[in-house]
Amino acid sequence: MERHHIVALCLLIVVAVVCTLAGREFLKMHEPDEIIPGQGVTKIENLSTYFGALAGMSSDTKVYILDSGRPGATALVLGGTHPNEPAGFMTAVVLTEHASAREGRLIVIPQVCGSGFTCTDPLEGYPQSFSVQSKSKMRTFRFGARGSNPLTEWPDPLVFLQYPSGQQLSGNEVRNLNRSYPGRPDGTVTERIAFAVMQLIERENVDIAFDLHEAAPEIPIINAIVTHEKGKDAAASALFTLESENLQYALEMSPPNFHGLSHREWGDRSPVFPYLMETSNPIQGRLRGKTNEALVVQGVDQKYYEAAQIGSMRITYNLEGEPLARRVGRHLRGVQALLGAYMESMPEKRIVVDNVPAYEQILERGIGEYLH
Amino acid sequence: MKRAQVLMIAATLLLLTAVSTLLFSQSKVKFDQPVLITSAGQSADVTIAGMLFKKANVQARAISLAKASDLEGIKTLVVVAGFSSKGLGAAGISREQELDRVKSLLAAAQEKKLKIVTFHLGGKARRGNQSDDFNKMAAEVSSYLLVVKQGNEDQFFSKLAAEKKIAIELVDKIADAVQPLAKMFEK
Ligand SMILES: [Zn+2]
Repeated sequence: MERHHIVALCLLIVVAVVCTLAGREFLKMHEPDEIIPGQGVTKIENLSTYFGALAGMSSDTKVYILDSGRPGATALVLGGTHPNEPAGFMTAVVLTEHASAREGRLIVIPQVCGSGFTCTDPLEGYPQSFSVQSKSKMRTFRFGARGSNPLTEWPDPLVFLQYPSGQQLSGNEVRNLNRSYPGRPDGTVTERIAFAVMQLIERENVDIAFDLHEAAPEIPIINAIVTHEKGKDAAASALFTLESENLQYALEMSPPNFHGLSHREWGDRSPVFPYLMETSNPIQGRLRGKTNEALVVQGVDQKYYEAAQIGSMRITYNLEGEPLARRVGRHLRGVQALLGAYMESMPEKRIVVDNVPAYEQILERGIGEYLH
Repeated sequence: MKRAQVLMIAATLLLLTAVSTLLFSQSKVKFDQPVLITSAGQSADVTIAGMLFKKANVQARAISLAKASDLEGIKTLVVVAGFSSKGLGAAGISREQELDRVKSLLAAAQEKKLKIVTFHLGGKARRGNQSDDFNKMAAEVSSYLLVVKQGNEDQFFSKLAAEKKIAIELVDKIADAVQPLAKMFEK
């Protein structure tokens, strides 16, 4: 063999190794996260149960039902509408693995935008996953993209015409589940997921529903409860409760002319009281420094601390940062407070969820304490 | 006891009474019903203010987009200040339109010699450039400010109150506003 043949062969081997390693990393994102249902889970469905076309696709996902067996209201909690907002879906995971219903019924979908969990957003340098030490082992969860995987509905249009409102949005929003409600059965992957959620709300007679999110610390709508007008009194009442426990929230009304959002379309198209909640997540922010797993879990970022020091932050941000445990704790407490306020306004519709870690508890012991 | 001592004690007591009466009267800014609650900036804090009135057992009507004609028969106008882009979206108006509405509503209220009160309940979330135009506009023409402390960390409201000689009540939490609110309308 001549020398240049050997060099070429070596190069080919190097390329093959790089491709194999990269390919494995790429495919790893398609391996579902392990979610271990707790004793409170009485039934497990798939989202495709409510809309068959999702069956066998990456956009199908598990639906956990926690039924008390006693009459009452049905609540729905969605995590992972935006798979790059981990507090939303980790809250749903904690509920699935630890909570139980004492009255009424709780339905949890931890990773509702299944497709978005199979990739990360380009150019953001996000980690592919993060880990939390549970009581028995290291639990790893995927950190996904804001929208559905572009491979499932490529290419994005230049302008996204929201269905059925006709509202115009930038092209990449076509993959944003929280712009795609009510969806349609013959639409894009994202519209189909939205359609399935609407079907679930209808078939399961959901009374109150939560869409759990996070946002960059610098945006104005943060540590917030967004409500449809029909749920505003219950939201204000919950806000009082939360404030008395030193958890500050801003109350925001859902704009009636901004379509495709959960708090708008669920509320307009079903009897459900919809609430969207936001916590503050430094890894989504534009001021962030090193973008890694530690930032997902600990939420400590020097630049945000400096921004707070010069008074350009609307929330309190100190050197403790915004750890995932605190964000999950806020969401859990927010859900509980809103359920309480809902029952006050609808005494005949009871929903009581037990074994939800208290805010102080989860802050002190960490999320892992409440995972298997 | 010497006569001088008795006189001294009497004088001290008198002074104390005078001072306490003065302080007491200062904390007792009185307002009359009917009350109209409106927003300056369209934040949902109007809903929270409505809840506070309910808890304080004071009747009030809330109209987020109140116009001058809504002031008919009203004695006290409560302005809940703070900007919200979602709220403006919900109202379907621009920030400029909202600034104009608030400006003309406040002018009409002043012309009718109504008492104006500003509530700032939203803390830091309702401060900053977008909000402060509304906060200032309402606060300057008010005779009473009820402010949750987190929104006054930079003394924005207390400075303004001192400058314009406006009574101000700072509370730690929104729920703490119930008591001063009930007092405002005590007969
Ligand atoms: Zn989100």
